[in-house]
Amino acid sequence: MLLPRYELKSDASLTVFEFTSVGKKGEISKIVQYSETNLKDFYNLGFGDKDLLTGEVDDKIVSDNGDSQKVLATVVGTVYAFTDKYPESWIYATGSTKSRTRLYRIGLTNNLDEILKDFNLYGLNKDEWQKFAKGVEYEAFLATRRSKK
Amino acid sequence: MKKIDELNKSKLPIVKIDKSLGEYKDKILFKEKVEKANETLKKVGLPKTLRKSRT
Repeated sequence: MLLPRYELKSDASLTVFEFTSVGKKGEISKIVQYSETNLKDFYNLGFGDKDLLTGEVDDKIVSDNGDSQKVLATVVGTVYAFTDKYPESWIYATGSTKSRTRLYRIGLTNNLDEILKDFNLYGLNKDEWQKFAKGVEYEAFLATRRSKK
Repeated sequence: MKKIDELNKSKLPIVKIDKSLGEYKDKILFKEKVEKANETLKKVGLPKTLRKSRT
């Protein structure tokens, strides 16, 4: 099932996305950025709130806007958009805190069947990448699009 | 032509291009995260299945 998502804006390279979360605390601008790492084709997924006054982005702030599922679904949407443009890319993602990483893991777990139709997904556990499995704690995640046949 | 409702049901989202976001293109907004990702990838490497295909 496709969860509701927010409308997305991006620059032409599809490496920076922006959307607006609408919830109990009002409107909060969110930024998602895919940044190159030292490994070719590996990108870090960064995600945080944008301060509209200063333009600064904060990935540690807890927005608590009551729409975390919709926000996560929108971030997943950016993964689809990014990997559609860069099909060979690998996306590295982790939360800025342990609890946020856990939240991501729960989100992935709840939608795992659907995600695995389109992505190969790994979790980092005890310094080793493992195929993502339900019920296992991970420190980070790695995803790449399955080959289109 | 696909209707907007059909497009909204696609896993691939509709993305509106906003040139103003180009200002972030060459900036690393989540520097700490990228550094951590580089450290982890250097220390842990790649998944085993990928190691084979990359060598």
